[in-house]
Amino acid sequence: MRVEVEEKVLSENDKLAIGLRERFARDKVLCVNLISSPGSGKTALLERTLEILPKTARVALLTGDLQTENDARRLARAGFPVKQITTGDTCHLDASMIIKALADWDLAGIDILFIENVGNLVCPTSYDLGEHAKIVLLSVTEGEDKPLKYPSIFAIAELCIINKIDLLPYVPFDLERAIANARHVHPGMEIVQTSCTKVQGLEPWLAWIERRRAQVMAE
Amino acid sequence: MTDAILSAKKRTMHELAIAQAILDRAQAASEKNGGGRVLKIGLRIGEISGVVPDALTFGIEALSKDTPLEGLLLEVEQPKRKQRCTACATEFEPEGFVVRCPACQHEQSECIAGNELDVTFIEIEDPPCA
Repeated sequence: MRVEVEEKVLSENDKLAIGLRERFARDKVLCVNLISSPGSGKTALLERTLEILPKTARVALLTGDLQTENDARRLARAGFPVKQITTGDTCHLDASMIIKALADWDLAGIDILFIENVGNLVCPTSYDLGEHAKIVLLSVTEGEDKPLKYPSIFAIAELCIINKIDLLPYVPFDLERAIANARHVHPGMEIVQTSCTKVQGLEPWLAWIERRRAQVMAE
Repeated sequence: MTDAILSAKKRTMHELAIAQAILDRAQAASEKNGGGRVLKIGLRIGEISGVVPDALTFGIEALSKDTPLEGLLLEVEQPKRKQRCTACATEFEPEGFVVRCPACQHEQSECIAGNELDVTFIEIEDPPCA
């Protein structure tokens, strides 16, 4: 029995992502893809991170939004190369946008590439950007059941950052339950707790970057 | 490890992931059609698909060993790269990586063939007569 299939083995995006992954591996660039709802603090986390990193660090950033260059302007203050990707109506970044944005950057001169995805917990999950790790942010002004409502991203993210912990006394967010929910969909998931306005709890996140960077160098 | 070996290794790994995707597809097709043994898989691997057919064949053999898919045959088509000029719509097979239109010398063209990585058909053993 012959079954006609006529299907692509990989989606177009997967093919492009494989190409990106090979480039990151060749040039030893740690690529991190940050995903969260709008307003969870992706830009703030990156701002604080850039302020702490030595000025000599070879870091670059891509930041995605539907419109405006606002995030790129915020991130550019630290002096590292930043590029805004405005997606128009598209609710996620895809591999072709990353390839286009990287076209005039020399990856050999970059050690860490942060990609701040469009604020959205759903669509960015299914677009491989060739990154080493997806990271999900959850802020305490959201519901602690978010990992249960949007399990896909929590299941594949390597690290979960619970942000805005300085607001815990003022909101009904149940931190322990949030952690339990995240580990329910992703047993053993690494979770760190931060406040980007009060600059608290960033050390485990910086240590994570350091560790992943060392792994990329050793590969 | 030398760069050459490293890059060969990386390439093989990339083909391994694709080989696994193809085997998963074949397994699913078999289950959907009565569970017969998969005899043959038809593949279309364009010359600029980024996939080396030999490495892919090797990956499929290695991954299917000791599984119900072991021993399946592959039928591979390898379409040549074809471009279409965005100015005059002439279709041409470029030499190397030069993609200038041979008719009007325009430098922009789009790829219309040669980048395929498709499963075209899957041949499954017919179930025994009742």
